[in-house]
Amino acid sequence: MPDPADNNIRATGTLVCVGLNYKTTPVEVRERLAFPEAVVPQAVKNIRELPGFGESVVLSTCNRVELYASHELPEAPQSHDALRDYLVRHFQLQPEHAEAMVLYQLDAAEAARHLFRVVSGLDSMVLGETEIFGQVKAAYKTALDHGTTGKTLNKLFQQAFTVGKRVRNDTMIQRGSTSVGSVAVDLAEKVHDLKECRVMLVGAGEMSRTCAQSLLSRGAKSIIVSNRSYDKAVELAEEMKGRAMKFDEWEHALHEVDVIISSTSAPHFVIKPEQIEQTMRKRRWDPLLIIDIAVPRDVDPAVNAIEGVYLYDIDALQAIADDGRRERERQLVLCERIIEEQLAKFGFVGA
Amino acid sequence: MPLTSILLLAATLAFAAAVVQALRALKSGRWKQGNVQLLPVAAGFALQTAFLYYRGQEVGQCPMKSLADILVFIGWSVVLLYFLVGSGFRLSLLGVFTAPLVTIMQSIALVQGFQPYAVKGKINALVELHAAVALIAYAAFALACITGVMYLVQERLLKLHRIGGLFYQLPPIQGLAKAIQRLVGLGLVLLSAALGISFALHTPVSNPKLVFSWIVWALYAVISFLMWRHVTSPRRTAWLAVVGFVLPFISLWIVTHA
Repeated sequence: MPDPADNNIRATGTLVCVGLNYKTTPVEVRERLAFPEAVVPQAVKNIRELPGFGESVVLSTCNRVELYASHELPEAPQSHDALRDYLVRHFQLQPEHAEAMVLYQLDAAEAARHLFRVVSGLDSMVLGETEIFGQVKAAYKTALDHGTTGKTLNKLFQQAFTVGKRVRNDTMIQRGSTSVGSVAVDLAEKVHDLKECRVMLVGAGEMSRTCAQSLLSRGAKSIIVSNRSYDKAVELAEEMKGRAMKFDEWEHALHEVDVIISSTSAPHFVIKPEQIEQTMRKRRWDPLLIIDIAVPRDVDPAVNAIEGVYLYDIDALQAIADDGRRERERQLVLCERIIEEQLAKFGFVGA
Repeated sequence: MPLTSILLLAATLAFAAAVVQALRALKSGRWKQGNVQLLPVAAGFALQTAFLYYRGQEVGQCPMKSLADILVFIGWSVVLLYFLVGSGFRLSLLGVFTAPLVTIMQSIALVQGFQPYAVKGKINALVELHAAVALIAYAAFALACITGVMYLVQERLLKLHRIGGLFYQLPPIQGLAKAIQRLVGLGLVLLSAALGISFALHTPVSNPKLVFSWIVWALYAVISFLMWRHVTSPRRTAWLAVVGFVLPFISLWIVTHA
């Protein structure tokens, strides 16, 4: 990233943040107010050119649209109105939609605190998630590259990145998994090297699809999809660049995979101890992770007693995800304390 | 207090500090592998090396004749192998599990004390090499034992669904199983080399030391075969690597008292 010091410093103004996020605005409205990536450079320029404004950064993700700016207007509400009007104009909102748009309008220390929380993942839908850090960095870089940042925003964003790193390094806000999909990935990672991991979906439910996608996005080697409806298996396999298998054949391929995700709607156990015992002999005791998402369960719990087999049903996965969420919530106080310390250190609030 | 004892005491304290530091980090959940974690282990290793050098000067040969000396030499070899294989197997936590073993071995050595021993005749370089290689092989078995403990801990956590702090720090069980297999293999190759040297000395089974070495070799050859042929589960072979180390450990007493 270019050195902010090299950038043309345009102004030292009052900081303002106007925005909306998943807490204030439903997705059907958010999607209408999102800035496509290609449009952001023009948007930051347009905001900077508004009367009284000197700098701007636009942060637009699936969960939030936020305009950060510095201005020299005599009253803060004037800047709020100007940014609100800009959004209405840019998205050509009808008066009734503009009226219904709920925005948060934050100034100076409040705006800085908000950005610090956003960068640290404390304002995210999944508490402590890390993706937002990269998204804020990218938004800042776009503005920096197009010369719409100056002394105020450069300093603010550099401070925000420092705070974000400190929060992540000094607390356990990232620790543990908070969703069933990420728990499945964590478990698979502790059984096998994910890059060598072959996955089989038995049944193509939504939750198993999410788990499989999480595994693939983290580098799982291959996927086999087997479903009662072969067409659905083919469709899902194509989507995941995997292989479809007829439902009466999956048993024969059990020994070829390292992770089984089962989610059929069968009223009885589909995977039984005798099948897995045979599979383990064929696998020469290579460990096998079985994730049973189905209700009623697909896998006989006795399977967990077999050497080298690790069985997790939906309750076990949910309990781990709940623990992860609770652990992160416990860390929230510590994170907020760090942010307050940093706000004081950077002179936004009294020490 | 003689210089050698001061060096060994300092080395032992460095390893104990590594244990305390790691346990505190693990308890608070802030364990991250990095140079800071390696510092006490590296300091301990430097002090061990200095101890072995001065002890060697003191006794006029490679210091491997008393139980205390052997324990320190194996401790040194374990740390050396940890530095060599730890990063290769991505076993960052191996140091945490290594440090307590080395601390215990060196504490026993300090309690035993170091007596001067006379040189019996001219030093035979082959005999020294045989002993050194055999002890490094024992260190590889010790490291396999430690890795086995890591495997059994991680396996237990997975089986009982105890997904917490230590679980996230330990490597995947498959990687640990491979590491055990390679360490046992490495130890076996080194012990074979040491026993091969004994043939060059024309005394392959001439005394209880060598007889016991052959028994240890046979035990690890069986363990290695079981792992190689996947005759039994990795959990059972991890147990074998852990329990199997009792035999080399007992043999140290026999070797030093024969």
